[in-house]
Amino acid sequence: MTLYINGIGCISPQHTFDNSVFLPEVKEYATNRLACVDADYAKFFDAGSLRRMGRLMKYGTAAGMIALRDAGIDVPGAITTGTALGLPEVSQKFLRSLIEVEETIVSPTTFIQSTHNTVSSNIALLCKCFSHNNTFSHKGFSFESALTDAQLLTLENTDNILVGAYDEVSDYKYAAMKKTNELRQEPCSNLDIYGAQNKGILAGEGAAFFVLSKEKNENSYGSFIGNKTFYKPENKGEIRNHILSFLQENHSSMEEIDVIITGISGAKEVDETRIELNKNLFTTQTILAYKHLCGEYMTSSAFAFWLASKILKSQQIPDAVILENRNRSPKNILLYNSHKHNHSLMLFKAC
Amino acid sequence: MAFHKGDVTLSEVEGSCIMQGKSQQIHIAGKGAISAIGNNVAENFASLRNLQTGVSKITVLTTRYAETLPAAEVKLTNEELAARCGLNSNEPRTALFSLIAAKEAVTDANIPDFKKWRTGFVSANTVGAMDKTETIYKYFMEDGNTNKLIEEDPYDAGYVTELVANELGIKEHITTISTACSSSANAMAYGARLIKSNQLDIVVAGGCDAMSRFTLNGFNSLMILDTNPCTPYDDNRKGLNLGEGAGYVVLVSEKVAATLSKKPTTTLSGYANANDAFHQTASSPEGKGNFMAMQGALEMSGLAAKDIDYINLHGTGTPNNDLSEGIAVQRIFGAVPKASSTKPYTGHTLGACAGIEAVYCILSIENGIIFPNLRFQTKMKELDFTPVTELLQNIEVNHVMSNSFGFGGNCSSVIFSKAN
Repeated sequence: MTLYINGIGCISPQHTFDNSVFLPEVKEYATNRLACVDADYAKFFDAGSLRRMGRLMKYGTAAGMIALRDAGIDVPGAITTGTALGLPEVSQKFLRSLIEVEETIVSPTTFIQSTHNTVSSNIALLCKCFSHNNTFSHKGFSFESALTDAQLLTLENTDNILVGAYDEVSDYKYAAMKKTNELRQEPCSNLDIYGAQNKGILAGEGAAFFVLSKEKNENSYGSFIGNKTFYKPENKGEIRNHILSFLQENHSSMEEIDVIITGISGAKEVDETRIELNKNLFTTQTILAYKHLCGEYMTSSAFAFWLASKILKSQQIPDAVILENRNRSPKNILLYNSHKHNHSLMLFKAC
Repeated sequence: MAFHKGDVTLSEVEGSCIMQGKSQQIHIAGKGAISAIGNNVAENFASLRNLQTGVSKITVLTTRYAETLPAAEVKLTNEELAARCGLNSNEPRTALFSLIAAKEAVTDANIPDFKKWRTGFVSANTVGAMDKTETIYKYFMEDGNTNKLIEEDPYDAGYVTELVANELGIKEHITTISTACSSSANAMAYGARLIKSNQLDIVVAGGCDAMSRFTLNGFNSLMILDTNPCTPYDDNRKGLNLGEGAGYVVLVSEKVAATLSKKPTTTLSGYANANDAFHQTASSPEGKGNFMAMQGALEMSGLAAKDIDYINLHGTGTPNNDLSEGIAVQRIFGAVPKASSTKPYTGHTLGACAGIEAVYCILSIENGIIFPNLRFQTKMKELDFTPVTELLQNIEVNHVMSNSFGFGGNCSSVIFSKAN
């Protein structure tokens, strides 16, 4: 089932919130923790709200509003989102305060923002959208489930669905990642993470939203054909089979695919499979990587969705994302990403 | 987008059943529950009939408020829960509840060749691993000591779902919904939609949540906790009591239902998700989102308001919820059918409540019984109706509506019907 991408909004560790440009320059980080580049939030919220809102609440909500404005839609038909970890910074602010005062008197401000559905419902509140509002919080399937929800909604006769995902690196998460030795050793640069010697991931974050519609229009970026998730594949063969059957189910084939967006991240054991696929299966496609731009996080596939949208519309591939150039015109794009046991595939086509 | 062994994709069902509104029935083949009033469905049913409340003094959770804020705890330690389900007792309490109830539901369904079908697990929770984190976090704050940190983020709701999916042996489609107190209603609806669109044959759907100092202090900071056992829909209601537990149903397609030796008694005949878009934590005075959710669920089921025999109200006991919900119920129904909140029994179990209450609605249909709204005394002056106050038995219950409304204006209603 084809859905047209008619509006996009992305806030990430790169300058991505301005839809009139496409990665004009890549921001370099000399740390293993990438943080969102803030948009001018005063354009979206009044001063009082801004003071109360946590960081993710601001950039998550703003990304949704950018997508709606881009699509020229005041009220979407439904809102469905994914977030693996909800709003950890405000939640932990509340947790810290209750530990500090030993459960005596705590302010509800941060508790109010602590439920996972806060961003999704905040957008509903701002644009007065009374219809279906969902939030999936399942690790590397969070954004993918929201996409499935959007496809089901379309079948159920809802149109112009706002779908998106958002996550942030909290201090706790960053400390936990350090503890498990997942992170890249500092000093490091995000512009050099895919070399064989460089192992370890960059902690990342971001928010990306899309308006998906049944009809295409002059603002359409491209079409989203379908997605598929699979859990705990037993071996590389199973991954390969999932990729090939996914293409077949969507009436496509490996030959037809021009561009692969791979979730290669610097994580040794995971990248090993990805690199092998790049060598053996994706032999004629231009291969792109994106996690040096936004870092690794469980809903990073939403950033990749944004990247695919921009490429399809502009028919340009920025040098900064090219891992292997086979000089193919970007008409058909396949995304393969994974986060631990969660694997996901998405298929896009130019309009 | 296909998650399955079969060959049918969404694009192929386009233009077929769901577009024409003649979608297949979703049968409920099994149910499982654990709450303050029982560790399984039979114990819950006995407590419901015996008017036995689960609200009492807090004894399991370590909190300053143990003596002052009553709650509906499952009176088992994590070690005792772990012994019942086989998970490690170090895992989040939320996961221990989830596995106990989900396993009961799957066993109850007793589906022959369970493995041959395309099966999903759609679970809901709102606190994730918070019960573990809130204890460890103190050390992190004191000296940045990361040795004790658990890898799971406090709010990693999906961690809990994967633990349980692994134990149930479900791999095909796994996801987690977290829309505050409406979470498990949305999990059931999403599961039903995956079956209707022919992506799955079976979905174990519902939700779980455990008590935590985080939520207890959060609700307390909003001043919506009652210092006595809660009294929903009473004019003198003061607030809610928190609870904990899990509730799951096994949703199956018509094709699966036809293979079962124990025929399903109930179908999930309607559901709807709407947003109040009024305030982050409060309901609009007229209950707009509540109204739209109930109306949407009725529309889908093809039933008229007068066909509903019983409403399991969200009825948390907060002044705001009961008033908004009550006004919306009156607008939808005119003559309000028999209605009650079962939260005086279980407390408000947040992400688990629609799952647990789904089990109660099915029990109501199966046994021709309606559970009372315990402790009700005084009619709300703004409303024309009062809830059921006595156990009603030997009556015909064909269609039951269950409401769940949450933070963020998330409003969901589901309807259960007696299977033909």
